[in-house]
Amino acid sequence: MNGLKSIVKHLEKGVMVIAAAAVSMFILTACSASGQSPVKDSSPEAETEGEKEADADKSADQLVVVGFSQLGAESDWRSAHSQSIRSELTPENGFQLLFEDGQQKQTNQIMAIRTFIQREVDAIALAPVTESGWDSVLSEAKEAGIPVILVDRRVDVSDENLFECWIGSDFELEGKKATQWLHQYTESIDYPQDQLHVVNIQGTIGSSAQIGRSKGLRQACDRYGWDLMQEVSGEFTQTKGREVMASLLRLYPDLNVVYCENDNEALGAIEAIETAGREPGLDLLGGQILILSFDGMNPEALQYAREGKIACIAECNPQHGKRLADVIRRIREGKQPEKYSYVEEEIFSGCDAIKTLTVDGKEYPVTLLQ
Amino acid sequence: MKSAKKFKLSNMSDTNLLLTITIVVFFLMYIGAMLFQGKGFLKAQTFFNILNANAALIITACGMSLVMITGGIDISVGGVAALVSMCCAVYLDYHGGNVFGAVLIALGIGLAFGIVQGLLVAYLDIQPFIVSLAGMFFARGMTTIVNTAPFNVANEAFIAVKETRVTVPGFGSYNKLGKYVPAYVEIGVIVALLVVILLFCMLRYMKVGRNFYAVGGNSQSALMLGINVRRTRFLSHLICSLLAGVGGFVYFMHVGSGSASHAMGMEMNAIASSIIGGTMLTGGVGNIIGTFFGVLSLSTIQNIVSSAGLDQAWWTGITIAAMLCIFLVVQSVVMARKKKALG
Amino acid sequence: MSSETKIQTRKVKGGSIFRNQIFIPVAALLLLALFNLIADPSFYKITLGYNSTGDPVLSGYLMTILDYGSELAILAIGMTLVTAASGGQDISVGAAIAIAGSVILRVLCGHDSRPETLQAPIIVAFLVACVVAMLFGAFNGALVAYFKIQPMVATLILFTAGRSIAAWINNNELPIISDPSFAIYGGFIPGIPIPTPFFIAMICVVITMLALKFTNLGLYTQAVGINESSSKLNGLNPAFIKFLSFVLLGLCVAVAGLIKVSRLSSINYSVIAKDIEMDAILAVALGGNSLGGGKFNMLASILGAYVIQFLTTTLYKFNVQSDALPAYKAVVVIALVVMSTPKAREFMSKIGKKLKPAERSVA
Repeated sequence: MNGLKSIVKHLEKGVMVIAAAAVSMFILTACSASGQSPVKDSSPEAETEGEKEADADKSADQLVVVGFSQLGAESDWRSAHSQSIRSELTPENGFQLLFEDGQQKQTNQIMAIRTFIQREVDAIALAPVTESGWDSVLSEAKEAGIPVILVDRRVDVSDENLFECWIGSDFELEGKKATQWLHQYTESIDYPQDQLHVVNIQGTIGSSAQIGRSKGLRQACDRYGWDLMQEVSGEFTQTKGREVMASLLRLYPDLNVVYCENDNEALGAIEAIETAGREPGLDLLGGQILILSFDGMNPEALQYAREGKIACIAECNPQHGKRLADVIRRIREGKQPEKYSYVEEEIFSGCDAIKTLTVDGKEYPVTLLQ
Repeated sequence: MKSAKKFKLSNMSDTNLLLTITIVVFFLMYIGAMLFQGKGFLKAQTFFNILNANAALIITACGMSLVMITGGIDISVGGVAALVSMCCAVYLDYHGGNVFGAVLIALGIGLAFGIVQGLLVAYLDIQPFIVSLAGMFFARGMTTIVNTAPFNVANEAFIAVKETRVTVPGFGSYNKLGKYVPAYVEIGVIVALLVVILLFCMLRYMKVGRNFYAVGGNSQSALMLGINVRRTRFLSHLICSLLAGVGGFVYFMHVGSGSASHAMGMEMNAIASSIIGGTMLTGGVGNIIGTFFGVLSLSTIQNIVSSAGLDQAWWTGITIAAMLCIFLVVQSVVMARKKKALG
Repeated sequence: MSSETKIQTRKVKGGSIFRNQIFIPVAALLLLALFNLIADPSFYKITLGYNSTGDPVLSGYLMTILDYGSELAILAIGMTLVTAASGGQDISVGAAIAIAGSVILRVLCGHDSRPETLQAPIIVAFLVACVVAMLFGAFNGALVAYFKIQPMVATLILFTAGRSIAAWINNNELPIISDPSFAIYGGFIPGIPIPTPFFIAMICVVITMLALKFTNLGLYTQAVGINESSSKLNGLNPAFIKFLSFVLLGLCVAVAGLIKVSRLSSINYSVIAKDIEMDAILAVALGGNSLGGGKFNMLASILGAYVIQFLTTTLYKFNVQSDALPAYKAVVVIALVVMSTPKAREFMSKIGKKLKPAERSVA
């Protein structure tokens, strides 16, 4: 009883002390805030010198500070992507990485970029969660003289000069590759093109991967006369993929091609198909459901591709780390990097019927999974 | 103001004691960040960025505190904010509306939710948790029904409002290029500060404000004092949802897009800020200024975690939870003291 | 005022079927069943198929309900106890499931995140998860029972930190178990065509029912919930009962977590069991239990859980987008809760009385 009372009393005394401290600290803060400008006033003249100094610092092993705003950790691909960047931008390679997980929220990412700007990092890398709504924060970065490098997804801004360059995958080409594989494969087994009933399990609506891959599919459907029955979002997750697939199977008993916009969705779809008593596979004539997928990161999905449960996987290469490090070095050296650079990507299949694909007049070899 | 409070510290009321703790913790944290992290935190703009990013949260948290003071809870605020931003986005973009109309829509949605939830809670005696849970579900669901895909608003008048920056003289700084960048806040911050001041005055100086405390403290004795308990409860939910509408619009102004995933988890952040700010869920105790500092503390933690280069997002969750835990235990000690004083 | 309403409720109780507590979930179930029967009888079709390993598997909407409603039913058991004893709800169950699931995977995987073989027996992993989940339950319980913090606020702490802790347990990796024996708990036992989660749920229900029948758990919980101080005067320890209810909920969470991770053979920290706390609380409310604590009906809660899954599945069948689901759920919930308020019940029993003489005259 008494103990508690004395604790409370102590607490009160403590509060009094702390309150006093806080008041004085507050005054200090105000001083330092206003006192900041005189200190910095001299900087305009010292500007050019400062830059030289920075160069000297670099040779003296000064680390390049890079702020990276990752959009989240929703899929295996994303984890591999983060891992690639983390393992490349290390102190050994001359970088200090500030990694920010946006947890799928644009506001978090905007906040992160503003924090980077205030910290005066040397470069900002951004994997945006959506394409739109970046104008103001990117122009703030530009005003602050910090180059912004986009990775993976693109942004939709009024002025392309707001970002330095973009590194990522050609999602539309991936879509074209997968659909071309389906076209060539069905031709090879003499399956009528107008008998292909396709459903599309889309990625997170509005993401670059979803837009590009969906576009690739729609073009192919128009060109080859496939029946595109429905497009629903599976949000790039296995759970959602299964959920969506289960309801699609009930709605369209005659569907025979599933176009999954990433591997996790394909895994979910396969579960749903098997639970419903159907079979995923390459034998369209025998009533199996053919599955096309993307990424090629998940070992389980690759195993399924070997078994033929997934007919073909268009790779989406997450190894952006090295390219990002190169680009930042180039910018530091004062060179202009290429505005859009694509990473190399393959196409995997467990079926050796198709050896090469012809997309837009260019040949792509199909990597056979053993 | 502070020194006046110090003299009366020994017989300070619960509200004031909790408030003082909150403010002190916030300043300690911020100063700690300045000392140990330097760089970003020494710039005034970092502080203003915290305000910019959290204006919407400040507004909704104020509403939340009000409901909590009357002993209720409203977990629909995040959903309402998302619904508001989506409806405004659709209205501005697809229907070519004007900004004024969008504001009216925001207020209308907030009012509608407030009236329905208030009636159900106050006049049908349904637990506020269940009512607002249904409200949250409804708002989130409606948001996707209005429009599934997230999209950006291209309405020029709106973008002009969104990009308007109120510069704060004397706090600017020089960036790496040696350019002077004036410190600024967004319009939403002005709205948020107005809301804080209005609610503070209402709770402190108006009769209706004191009714909220009375109802939350002990509804039976409030009834005996002739306070219309039902109407007071209704009013608290009405104001809270209305503020959620306003907060939704401010949020919308900050991000400039509509999406079903907007303001996800805002209700929990609002509750957490209120608690950190010294509002008790049991009702009767709380302060709007405390809530304001609660929001600031919450986002300062997030900022510190990110500037410290702690790369895993889970650090934020854990530090906030730890802080909540400490505050709750302090509150329970205070409650124990109060009980002892009574008995 | 609150005592006034309580007296009213008691007066209304007894007699008419409108006044029985289990009436609400049963009525809701019948309504939904009838709706489906009229709209599309194929809802009730159950087909026997074979899964990839060649084992017989029943599939159909009813099976989906039994399957996915089960973890909700398990959670509803614990949530009912917590609600009855403390008069509040635990909103951290979703986050706690993430923790329990993460622990299971961590124990099974050992150091490698993609092991070929299990590094520990599943039962060991499950028991470790039980202990961990009960510890977190104890943390919540201690805050509520001994620090007298409102349950919703106390559990807000774990709600905020839980998923982070879950990610931390596995170093933010996404472990995948390829061993098929692990998938049994969320799938099918070879040779038995009914989904395993249903059996697990039934085992939990039977144990709970036996515990309520042969121990004083139910009586004490209700006594504490109805009037804490009078139960104290009668020699009970209210704080301990509250504490115990949270620990028991932790156990339920561990079981639900096992089912959840077994379904995927993996885990996604930010998505797993998302919003399940809301569904679990709804199940309790749908069961007609007062969320303010006190008397409870366990069977009604469990039935409530399946009703919610029934509703979800029905909505899916009518091709409602999964993101739009909550809007419809909300309408149903509000309708049910309004129906169960004393005022509405009084109104209904009045109508019932008016109808009865009419029936007699017809006869």
